[in-house]
Amino acid sequence: MVNFNIDAEEEITYDAIVIGSGISGGWAAKELCEKGLKTLVLERGRMVEHVKDYPTMNDDPWDTELRGGLTPEQKKKHYKGIRSGFIGTDTEHFWANDEENPYTEVKPFLWMRAHQMGGRSILWGKQTYRWSDLDFEANAKDGYGVDWPIRYRDIEPWYTYVEKFAGISGEALGLPQLPDSHFLPPMELNCVEKHVKSRIEKEFPGRHMIIGRVAHLTEPLNGRGKCQYRNRCSRGCPYGAYFSSNAVTLPAANATGNLTIRPFSIVQSIIYDDQKGKATGVRIIDAETNNTIDYKARIIFCNASALSTTQILLNSTSSRFENGFGNESGELGHNLMDHTYRVGAMGHVEGFEDKYYKGRRPNGIYIPRYWNIDEKSTSDKFLRGFGFQGGGSRAGSQAAANIEDFGADYKDSILKPGPWEFFITGFAECLPYHENKVYLDHENLDKWGQPTLAIDCEYKENELALNAQIQSDAVEMLEKAGLSHVVGFDNKHEPGYGIHEMGTARMGKDPKTSVLNGMNQVHAAKNVFVTDGACMTSNSCVNPSLTYMALTARAANHAVEELNKLNI
Amino acid sequence: MNRRKVLRKGGLIAGGAIMAPTLLSLLQSCQSQPRIDWQPEFFTTEEALLMSSLVDTILPRTETPGALDVKVDVFLDKVFAKTFDEESQVNIRSQMADFNQSCEQKYGDSFSDLSKEDKVEVLKSAEENSPKFNGSVWGTAVGTQKPVGFYRSIKSMTIWAYFTSEEIGKNVLNYDPIPQEYEGCKPLSEVGNRWSL
Repeated sequence: MVNFNIDAEEEITYDAIVIGSGISGGWAAKELCEKGLKTLVLERGRMVEHVKDYPTMNDDPWDTELRGGLTPEQKKKHYKGIRSGFIGTDTEHFWANDEENPYTEVKPFLWMRAHQMGGRSILWGKQTYRWSDLDFEANAKDGYGVDWPIRYRDIEPWYTYVEKFAGISGEALGLPQLPDSHFLPPMELNCVEKHVKSRIEKEFPGRHMIIGRVAHLTEPLNGRGKCQYRNRCSRGCPYGAYFSSNAVTLPAANATGNLTIRPFSIVQSIIYDDQKGKATGVRIIDAETNNTIDYKARIIFCNASALSTTQILLNSTSSRFENGFGNESGELGHNLMDHTYRVGAMGHVEGFEDKYYKGRRPNGIYIPRYWNIDEKSTSDKFLRGFGFQGGGSRAGSQAAANIEDFGADYKDSILKPGPWEFFITGFAECLPYHENKVYLDHENLDKWGQPTLAIDCEYKENELALNAQIQSDAVEMLEKAGLSHVVGFDNKHEPGYGIHEMGTARMGKDPKTSVLNGMNQVHAAKNVFVTDGACMTSNSCVNPSLTYMALTARAANHAVEELNKLNI
Repeated sequence: MNRRKVLRKGGLIAGGAIMAPTLLSLLQSCQSQPRIDWQPEFFTTEEALLMSSLVDTILPRTETPGALDVKVDVFLDKVFAKTFDEESQVNIRSQMADFNQSCEQKYGDSFSDLSKEDKVEVLKSAEENSPKFNGSVWGTAVGTQKPVGFYRSIKSMTIWAYFTSEEIGKNVLNYDPIPQEYEGCKPLSEVGNRWSL
């Protein structure tokens, strides 16, 4: 299906190099290839071809010896990642090896990485929302961080553009704080979710509970099948029903004949030419042979993921850029953000014991932000806001273990579905703080002898105040909605658990205070583009992937225009 | 799945015939004889006897298969052997020994040798004294989870092993690997038992 370039001896020149093949890298590859550029995608991990390399996609629990349990060796390999609770035998092969790729937690930080073709686009949660001017104006209004160089109107056509190709399911509501996408039909709420929705919306005017907006097809699109409601997404979908690079953008890029993918290619640095005043290529280490190879190109897209892109830029030093590529502002590596995670409430819903559902919907509910969206919703306790994800379902086997009974009648009773449970969990915005940062650790080297990343990041007063409000709001909403056994919770997770790392090479208007301009170009080397999470100037409370897609398509379009005008 | 089908499938694994309830109870009483007919990887014979009689008391055979019918004990042995690190293995061994010891102190025998009535008494008291699981969101406990102790943890693993066995997953619970659609509100009577996946 895909061209491999495995000729390690030759120095080869391309029109464009894309570093990384996850959500944003896949989009960069598709856009650049479709515009006629011979494009080399460098991926540090192995090849993962759509369907062919999804070994667990059809496994039932009893098909694997340990039914999902990890061996001590596997736990050691993922000794950091297992903290997330996401790694089981069904997806273990898609998560990065923590032993080979160490990082230092100056303060606790969970960095979930996926080193293979498609990156985390295979594993992501697929919640897909547009940002609004509430987000793009946030820094300018309260003075944290620097102002975004763009507004909603700049990105709006690109949201529409990527949505039409990616396929986003959802319901249009016309909310200014959560603009509608170009939608495929929404997924269905179940009876308990509909009930809770009507109670919350009645008790709390201005709050909305909607079905999650997701990058899942609810109708076939461009040869991809619609969702079959198996909820085995993160093993890879045989129908291509959810958006991943492997199923969607890379096949489109490949269809142009302009794509070359090189797996096992760890980008060591970006090469800068002092005379020409621009980047001329990248240096890679072949992960299998340890050989160093230089590839050349007219433009370079950095899409290695927020922290990995910044790691490469920090490691790309030259006489011009002694402190890292394009780091004249001193902001490279700084202003790291994530969304707070697992603070909320759960409870039981009574009165629907005779109701059930069919199908395993890979989606839940969403409650859009309602704090600090206008004058009357302004809080005196915190800046910015949060949204909730959640859902209702009938309780599983662990709840059955809590029932104080055993024996014959008990066994027959637990064959029936358990009580209806409903939960909501908040995702809060994190302010961009200069002191939340990453830097190169030259003492601790990885398997290939490269400096690793040290991460020094923490939530501060505003984030903790947001979390406190999340929990009290969640409890209040569920209680007023008539739930029983309502329990609030705060898992007090360190940053990283949200797996929404943003910032560290932010966009901005002024080269003195930012790394990238409004078109995602490095201020000081305009043929280098950063369009993954590193570019983000603030982090909203809304899931970011759709914004990466739109920014990437927009930047790729600009890159080709500038190439054609011979400006870069 | 309807009741008749459950009975038929339940009968299949016990030798291909539909069993009358009397025959079932006869078999149950035979099972309380302390013996094992399999070779554990991790358990000592004494531990295997404990675990077999424990999972049998929690989920006995009725009209549907019990924990022993779907080899929950054999599977748990494998789980301890292959997914537990050394420290956890030492820990679970000492918990099994403690459990048996307290049975001996109170009833004069290890758990597998107790009468059915005494076993029930032991588990009743274990139920009362075991902390419970917090709720969970996306597979992880919310808040700070107190250790649930040996009994609740084994009970939870037993249910997990039972539900994820092929016989229960395919023939007792409702098995639907490719639902194709999501129906958010369906009368439970049209489904019956819980979905297995």
